[in-house]
Amino acid sequence: MSAMLLNKDKWPEFVGKLSGKVWVPKVEEGEAIRFGPLSGEESKLPEYCNTRVPPKEIVFPETETLYCFQADEHEMTAPEIDERKIIIGIRPCDARAMKIVEKLFRWDVDDPYYLKHRELVTLVGLACNAPGLNCFCTSVGGGPASTEGLDIIMFDLEDRYLLETITEKGEALLKEVEGLLEEAGQDVLAQKEKLIEAAENKISRSVDTEGIAEGLPGLWEDPLWKRVSASCLGCGTCTYLCPTCHCFDIQDETEGFEARRYRTWDSCMFEEYTRHASGHNPRPTRRERTRNRINHKYSYYVDKFDLIACVGCGRCINYCPVNIDIVEILRQVKEAL
Amino acid sequence: MKTSENPYIPYLATIENAWYETGGERCIKTFKVVIDDKEVRENWNHCPGQSAMIGVLGVGESMISISASPTEGRFLRFSVMRMGKVTQALHQLDPGDKMTIRGPYGNGFPLEEWEGKHILTIGGGIGQAPLRPIIEYVKAKQDLYAGLTMIYGARTSGDLCFKDEFTEMSKCDDLSCHLTIDIEEEGWEHNVGFVPQMLLDLNPSPENKIAITCGPPIMIRFVLENLKKLGFADEQIYTTLENRMKCGIGKCGRCNVGNLYVCKDGPVFCYSVLKNVPEAFA
Amino acid sequence: MDLEQLRKTAAEVVAKDDVKYLIGWKKGTYGYRVSPVFIENEADTEDLIFSPLCTANLVTYLTLVEKPPLPRGQKPDTRKVALMVKGCDSRAVAQILVEKGIEREQIIVIGCPCPGVIDVNLLVAKYPEVAENTELKWSGEDFVLIRGGEEIPVKREEVLAEKCRLCRYPNPVVSDIMIGEPVKPWQTEEDTGVSELEGKNVAERWEYWEEQFARCIRCYSCRNVCPLCYCEDCILDRLNPTWINRAVNFSENTAFHIARAFHLAGRCVECGECERVCPVKIPLGRLNRKLAREVRDNYGFEPGLDPDGKPFQASYKPDDPEDFIL
Repeated sequence: MSAMLLNKDKWPEFVGKLSGKVWVPKVEEGEAIRFGPLSGEESKLPEYCNTRVPPKEIVFPETETLYCFQADEHEMTAPEIDERKIIIGIRPCDARAMKIVEKLFRWDVDDPYYLKHRELVTLVGLACNAPGLNCFCTSVGGGPASTEGLDIIMFDLEDRYLLETITEKGEALLKEVEGLLEEAGQDVLAQKEKLIEAAENKISRSVDTEGIAEGLPGLWEDPLWKRVSASCLGCGTCTYLCPTCHCFDIQDETEGFEARRYRTWDSCMFEEYTRHASGHNPRPTRRERTRNRINHKYSYYVDKFDLIACVGCGRCINYCPVNIDIVEILRQVKEAL
Repeated sequence: MKTSENPYIPYLATIENAWYETGGERCIKTFKVVIDDKEVRENWNHCPGQSAMIGVLGVGESMISISASPTEGRFLRFSVMRMGKVTQALHQLDPGDKMTIRGPYGNGFPLEEWEGKHILTIGGGIGQAPLRPIIEYVKAKQDLYAGLTMIYGARTSGDLCFKDEFTEMSKCDDLSCHLTIDIEEEGWEHNVGFVPQMLLDLNPSPENKIAITCGPPIMIRFVLENLKKLGFADEQIYTTLENRMKCGIGKCGRCNVGNLYVCKDGPVFCYSVLKNVPEAFA
Repeated sequence: MDLEQLRKTAAEVVAKDDVKYLIGWKKGTYGYRVSPVFIENEADTEDLIFSPLCTANLVTYLTLVEKPPLPRGQKPDTRKVALMVKGCDSRAVAQILVEKGIEREQIIVIGCPCPGVIDVNLLVAKYPEVAENTELKWSGEDFVLIRGGEEIPVKREEVLAEKCRLCRYPNPVVSDIMIGEPVKPWQTEEDTGVSELEGKNVAERWEYWEEQFARCIRCYSCRNVCPLCYCEDCILDRLNPTWINRAVNFSENTAFHIARAFHLAGRCVECGECERVCPVKIPLGRLNRKLAREVRDNYGFEPGLDPDGKPFQASYKPDDPEDFIL
């Protein structure tokens, strides 16, 4: 696999030459809120630790048509998914999340929508030089330069990027821009190692996951669940901004004669998520719902796929309106074991 | 894309016959449906206990247990209680109308494993729907099973499903059918009392038996308790769970009880598994 | 604010048999964060704080109480709930009392006169957050940041929350116990956020909100955090019939935000929580404050000032302007 250098001056040319729609973090209201298609005005990547909305929405759109039909008719047509997308600047945690979630979408029955989107994206990651306050990727199997799920990983070396290919898809992408790149020497690779080490040292938060997956079910009635969910507002911020949360709802919508069935993100933190039509709710309060969120990520998913469904991106901690902090919850879980 | 490639796209089916089982606000209507596509119809294989996502285009889909046994023929039956948006729309359908079907989903009852045993079904209300295919199946393959006992109850005689079939059943020698209603009623010739109590009164021996119970959660709880009192081992007891579902194929995430997905790992569970799942009877 | 007095008072309150818990603020898990805390016993009152970082409006917890079906024979817990309120928060209490959403005897309001809280985004931009828990205190007109043993003076205007710049009621309007002395209200600024939008024409305004609402991810944090969004059966959650589709797109998002804004007209107390919690930074405060301004200018009505008053929609006056009727 190759290691190439790209001078930042050549950024516009670099993104211009790629065949496929290029998506990058977009700044709105003074901050990188989410990824969006390149508008052509960007001369470089913006400054960002990570986007608020994770790029999971590129492969798992918040609302996606499953199929269309005409009102009162029975012909169902699924939309064609055919746009090739190149996601530049995705952080290693978010790419890892896609790899983790893919397990579920391949489990037993393939999910054609997710897998098609996934097949059509090329992920060009950007290693983190300065992880955020609440990043804890190194505790859950990732790292600031983890390559899992990525096709190419970039390292920011101030005036240039080091690009390392990880997959054949990544290799093919670099072929398209060959003329703009130069081979990276040993000195650059040594510089990269130093950057990774420095970044890892900047991660201050951690979770000791040992024994959690096996131990969580035993804490079912532990008072900790009431304690950690007491201030929960029951909103969907933690789950919607989570790169591994993948639950969805399916609804129908009719406008005139045009109708469709679509899926849309849903959250286990919402009251009606598990409410039966009869009104009975097997998870009647935020205590049960919070317990499910933690169990799903740290126990059920581990049980099924041997992976923790959390990449330590810190979004749920950063954006929870009332400071519900998963690292702190897991510390209390560990303590209760 | 066809369903074979896209698990979200349903098959179309035509309602051949439809009738009301019960009345009232939460009435139950049974649909006998035939899948339109000949190839799909002929390749459709389900076993008792499995479910299907049935729906109305423009309204939505609901997971409903298939209440016909494959031994009955190349058609399906669904008994639907009118409850929410989708079931209300389903109730509007009449013979000749179309509904959509995806499935079959879930694991179904391990009927082959049970061969040689005496089957005891204990149902309450709409809970008889997933049990009906067991009864039909065992009736069709009587020589493979040691016998069949059915206990079925509802609040009133008007709330009992599949009434016509019971009169016929009570004529068979190997099958015994026990009906009960909660409240005394004029003209009612069978038992009066709750299902769990009737189970105790009948006092079936656990020897060579498999007990399957479906019904309201509160009934299931007491039936389980009483089965234990009668000496049934956990491995001899089965039940089905239901939860809100959207996809039916283990993706949408909402139907889990603990680490089990009702849509894939269930809906049929042996009590020996379920008793260790904390959320199972929530 | 005298924390000793606060903790002592709180301890006395929670010691009472008829008090379930006291809702207050405590230090959060990192940096500038502060989290709501539910205190049930005297010892835990040591955790209570009141500082310019206490932005959260705790009144929302009065109506967020869950009532799951109780096991047979178990009686509902009818003990009182005590809570700490700033000036703006107390207006939410008053408004809910007006609407009879809670009973006055069921709550004990601990009023905290508030010299103004900060906008954490402004604070972070100016003084980057560190992992270690950091304190911010009032110091005369301004603030002082205490971290790692160092005291850094912070100018009020650099970090003050927008809602506080516009605040006319820094002292609680409803309270049973007041902690400390009332603060002197300050000269409020012009609400430029709203005025700017009023200056735009319809097309420009549409364009502005189109951009904002298109970004909404429908996490409902704005609704859930709002102390006055407490309908038991919110139309957003209703699927039968479906008033607002769950699909996330500009049209449905707009329907959601407009429905919410109108439901809050004459009720919103401008506590700014919706805007603070929005994960995609939609300036919802502008929308709600615009409606509040309309109500104030046209009807001379301000919600959440008199707990014994009438709700806006139920207080018709013969001289109310009617020129909106075509």
